Amino acid sequence: MTRLACFYVPMFVLAARLRSEPDLLNEAVGIVEGNGNNAHIVAATRRARKKGIQPGLSLAQARTLLPKLIARGRDSECERTAQEALLEVAETFSPRVEDAGEGVVFLDVTGMERHFADDDESGNGQPTTDNPSPELRLARAALRACDAISLPARVGIAGSKLAARVAAELPKSPTVVAPGEEATFLAPLPLTRLSPELEAAAMLHRFGLSSIGDLARLPESEIASRLGEVGRELHWAARGIDPRPLMPRPLPPEFREGMELEWPLVALEPFLFIANAALDRLSKRMEIQGFACKRLEFTLTLDPDGYDARGIDLPAPTRDVKTMLTLMRLDLEKTPPGAPVAGFSFVAHPDRPRRAQLSLFGPSAVSPEKLASTIAKLISILGDGRVGMPMTVDGHLPERYAINVFSPPPPPDVRRTPARARGLLAVRTFRPPIPIEVTTREAAGDDVQIATIRSLAEVVSDSRPPAPDSRPRVEAGSKVEIAGTVRICSGPWQVEEGWWSDRPDIREYWDVELERGGVYRVFRGGAAEWFVDARYEM
Amino acid sequence: MAVHARRPDTQFQLLEAHQIPKSLVSPQVVESGQCEALRNLRASLEASIAAKLTSGSELVRAVARQRREEILPTTIEPLDALLGGGLARGKMTELAGRGTRFSIVMATLAAATSIGEAAALIDAGDSFDPQLAESAGVDLQRLLWVRPRTMKQTVTAAEMIGATGFQLVIIDIGSRRPPGRRVPDATWVRLARVAESHGATILVSAPYALTGTTSEAMVLAHAPRPRWLGRGNSPRVLAGIETRLKLEKHRRLRPGQSATMFFRCEEAVTGDRSAGRIVSRVLSDTRLPASDTRKAS
Repeated sequence: MTRLACFYVPMFVLAARLRSEPDLLNEAVGIVEGNGNNAHIVAATRRARKKGIQPGLSLAQARTLLPKLIARGRDSECERTAQEALLEVAETFSPRVEDAGEGVVFLDVTGMERHFADDDESGNGQPTTDNPSPELRLARAALRACDAISLPARVGIAGSKLAARVAAELPKSPTVVAPGEEATFLAPLPLTRLSPELEAAAMLHRFGLSSIGDLARLPESEIASRLGEVGRELHWAARGIDPRPLMPRPLPPEFREGMELEWPLVALEPFLFIANAALDRLSKRMEIQGFACKRLEFTLTLDPDGYDARGIDLPAPTRDVKTMLTLMRLDLEKTPPGAPVAGFSFVAHPDRPRRAQLSLFGPSAVSPEKLASTIAKLISILGDGRVGMPMTVDGHLPERYAINVFSPPPPPDVRRTPARARGLLAVRTFRPPIPIEVTTREAAGDDVQIATIRSLAEVVSDSRPPAPDSRPRVEAGSKVEIAGTVRICSGPWQVEEGWWSDRPDIREYWDVELERGGVYRVFRGGAAEWFVDARYEM
Repeated sequence: MAVHARRPDTQFQLLEAHQIPKSLVSPQVVESGQCEALRNLRASLEASIAAKLTSGSELVRAVARQRREEILPTTIEPLDALLGGGLARGKMTELAGRGTRFSIVMATLAAATSIGEAAALIDAGDSFDPQLAESAGVDLQRLLWVRPRTMKQTVTAAEMIGATGFQLVIIDIGSRRPPGRRVPDATWVRLARVAESHGATILVSAPYALTGTTSEAMVLAHAPRPRWLGRGNSPRVLAGIETRLKLEKHRRLRPGQSATMFFRCEEAVTGDRSAGRIVSRVLSDTRLPASDTRKAS
């Protein structure tokens, strides 16, 4: 037998707003719909209701009753994200969830109660006095989960959507209707519980029917002949029969949070304060689903009009709010939106977080979460292409390199002893190669050659023309200080790449030692231009 | 640590002798790591079994001592001998001077990554060559390469990476100081604390001393001398570079010792093994051709 649960959030408009602004929880707050003279109250907090603020009052009337009433407009962004959060909580209890509109969610819990047969309800390890049924345990766990996302939901479990909805709307929550007892459960309830908005309820009341049981006891054909198809459906509902099946929704491809601000923000810190709470909610929702954020997109609603849409790619999936907030801060500091921000919307693209098995005896592994946060912060500080795992590239040119996402393999299970070093000489590569000028002259016969080199960058920075017979000079503060007479040279070593193409790269490499010190690796390209591409460290 | 309190008979000198309060149980002097229960237990056991008995506090102290004394060898024997076995874990070591610092950095990276540890190279000079590192034995998959532009970015990156849990963090400044203002001394103090609190080994390689008193040891690499194969007009090949290392400072060892190291060129050592990179060598003509624009007679 199918068992359905219903999550119902009373006064959903107000609950969604209070979820985004929890500071208003104990204040006299009214949610207002409409503008100007049409502005009227649609929901109010308990404190406001005690002062006589009721839905339907105009804002002016409400202010007359309670001058200190805090009025907030309906926020579609808050309501949408609250509904998504409610759906995500439902998805932690069942894979088949139906979105039934504002603050109402149905889910198929057939067989799910077995997971809660031994559930510790108190959450603090204390034994409970009563012995609730597994379905009641499930319903209580659902209430706790809804409380965790700051939504005061009610839960009902029954065999049909209608009975579950009616059970959820009862003030004493949770309510579990035993299988097959739907008609008995509904019978004493007033008719307005079936469908409060239905006009037929008033007509039935004129017939002398006050409870659902009174209607269920009448013949179905008689009701149908007087009220038509609506009457037939109402009679089925009164008997606990709901032919509507559960229509599960597909899993969302992304998580959204957002808010419309009461007044535009012009400073970064107040915006980040609000964004922190929104990101925290986003992170909790992803945690419920076992996801982490791999890309964060945020759209800022600008005042008076316009939008500013941005995206941050995270190097590894993370749920760390501090990291995401830091990246957002750096992005906004780098390129400010240029106008006051009147609202925002965050979209997190989910992915599975990295997992790592730690070793007892080998070297300790770096925590994937911390690594992802650190790399994300480093990329935001240094820029793309400056942080990652170095990679070799096929080819013959020495300056080639590639940089990839750093994702180290797990460390070995046992600690090893490092092998003895090969003792190889390392060179410092210049990126890009520095153009130089090579001058040669014969001295003391044809067998002896004197060569001098100097970097062209130094010549460019020198405003004075160099004397013809003077040694190359190095300017103070010059970026490149490669100049001098060659003492020893070794080469050429030929490197050729792309010989099959129209523009092959043919180079002749030399190792040169200068008289003033320093050993460099220089090469002559195809256009007879000289470059220094590395320095042997001295 | 044992705390000795004054006995009651010396505290109440003005009272009568019969009114001197006496504690029912005489206060015990508990020695560090040798509580009475443990001593009694060891005394009641055979010597061979008692020798294998270790209390929890003793184990914690032993692990902490081992962690403090643990070292990461650079696998360069002269340098390890100078440093008492290698780089101290949880400490900052500085390598300064104009010698073959980058070759030492490569060897250290190879040593750490080859045993499965995560290493980071903060390459302020942007002079790292992945091909060369791979041939030197560096496991590139375990190496995080960071290329900062300024000195401030360099130390910021080192702090962040050290706090992430990397076992080895190397800061290589290059041949010249990166642009930007001078880093305050407090930064190096902070970096040393990061190394100590997270057990990271930090090696700072710079052309001049930077870390001051915050580093555990400082080695000066100086007097580099290139060695060439061949003489006179005969073809020459760069064989390698010889460098002298001097232990300038160490908190546990006596400074002043020095050693000589020789790093060899791969081409000179391995011959044609690098033929994939260098297509052919022509060493018959060692004369440099001049630039076409400025050729002089």
